[in-house]
Amino acid sequence: MMLSTLDLALWAPVMVGGVLAGASSGALGVYIVGMRIPFLGVCVSHAALAGAVFGALAGLKGTWMLLPALAGAMIAALALGLAKPERFRTDNNTVMNLLFTGSMGLAFLGLGLFPVLGKSDHDVRALLWGSLNYCRWPDVWLMAGVTILLFLFLVLTAKEMRAILFSRTDAAAAGIHVTLVWTTFLILTALVLTVNFQTVGGLMIFSLMTNPAAAAFLLVRGSNRALATAAALGAFSGLAGFLVSAITDLPTGATIVLWSAGVVGVAAWFRSHRR
Amino acid sequence: MNSPVIEAQDLRVVMRGRCVLDVPHVSIHEGEFVALMGPNGAGKTTFLRALLALQPIAHGSIRVLGQEVHSLPWRPLAQLRQKIGYVPQLQPITGDMPLTVREVASMGRTARAGLFKRLTAEDWRQVDAWLEKLGLQYHAHHAFHELSGGEQRKVLLARALAQEPALLLLDEPTAHLDLGWREQWVQLLQQLHLETRRTFLLICHELEVLPPACQRVLLLRAGRLVADGTVQKVFEGDRLSDLYGEGFEVWHRNGRHGVVPGGAP
Repeated sequence: MMLSTLDLALWAPVMVGGVLAGASSGALGVYIVGMRIPFLGVCVSHAALAGAVFGALAGLKGTWMLLPALAGAMIAALALGLAKPERFRTDNNTVMNLLFTGSMGLAFLGLGLFPVLGKSDHDVRALLWGSLNYCRWPDVWLMAGVTILLFLFLVLTAKEMRAILFSRTDAAAAGIHVTLVWTTFLILTALVLTVNFQTVGGLMIFSLMTNPAAAAFLLVRGSNRALATAAALGAFSGLAGFLVSAITDLPTGATIVLWSAGVVGVAAWFRSHRR
Repeated sequence: MNSPVIEAQDLRVVMRGRCVLDVPHVSIHEGEFVALMGPNGAGKTTFLRALLALQPIAHGSIRVLGQEVHSLPWRPLAQLRQKIGYVPQLQPITGDMPLTVREVASMGRTARAGLFKRLTAEDWRQVDAWLEKLGLQYHAHHAFHELSGGEQRKVLLARALAQEPALLLLDEPTAHLDLGWREQWVQLLQQLHLETRRTFLLICHELEVLPPACQRVLLLRAGRLVADGTVQKVFEGDRLSDLYGEGFEVWHRNGRHGVVPGGAP
């Protein structure tokens, strides 16, 4: 598909979807990467994939597949965010590894069942790699809804999230309601990742969560500036990745990932030359 | 005597089936500057965490500012915690977010401002005032992780003081600092206590970091309170040898204290 054949009525929702997915994933990434738990994004998105796979096996299609995906994502997000691994003499990385491999195992088990049951796994594979065909205006409205919800939450709890990001123990010691704020954030994380799933795919979400935030941390100081920069870079990556994909006929997910990785490279170069 | 700010009774903390803290009774009164000392693993930080209800207790009670901390529902506990300034041990930075010094210090006003509410101009004025008081105003917009260990601890102190606490808990604020920074901290704590007259509880290992304002030492060993009194009284006789082995001597001069290896020439 070349850009010259672009039909705006068809591709406009995809572009808007790319911008929204990039902005919301970039904003989430500020906290996920800021806490050095970027693997949380991978775990949650793959748990969503596992949920979607079994939803598809149960006969769900299109937007309905979001429900089991959301269930899988929420279970993973809450398990990771609320787990106290030190009680079991382990750490967060081990728990994340356990959940990630478990989710992947379930997802591939489910994928293996499609031919056995004589069903098509096309919809689910499209989720895994991201597909332009999935994004239409109803999807965009959904994405816009969760993006607004996320930004509203992040603006209203900016000072609490900042304190939690610095140290959950210190925040609790200072009388901040850590459990309420952190759990709400995790639920929103699961919601945003699941809804974005349709546009960029499970594997691509990880890059949009990690790369814009990493680039923002290289460029600016302060949590508000980091949040705005990461959201802007995420939106830019989502849009630019799509446009490159449209012009070159390359897979959209891959171009978005490579573009966002390139943004980190440029940010690192800029920082090294600024000093 | 003033009313107790901290009062622990029959306190016992158990971790993984092992009793790590067993204190029959201890009380700290308003305006006192008390040091909590003892060898590694004696239970000092556990005691501090239990005061904040960050560490569950197996038995007994702890009253802080007149309230039983371990039986409080969440909201009153949060309100109580807002009155307790806590300067934790300096941990390696675990996040990548380039939070500014001003943002970190402002966390002391976060709970007080309330959920979903922005910090007011008065909140920021308090934050800036404490940063200036501690000589950090020029670092206000620097990233916290770009500061030295000594400066980072001062930011954490500014954060705790911005809370306007009735009780200040300091967990080894001078650990791993060079001599110059350490002495700065001693003078700072002395000055702050004289000016604010708040209750200070300082965890430390070295007698050298006790400011003259510190008139009382609680000594823990293997989770038990083995001494409670003035520095001279607590460290008289063979106490140091009992705790750390033979060959230490304690000196006291002008309200300051120190340890020298007894066998040194």
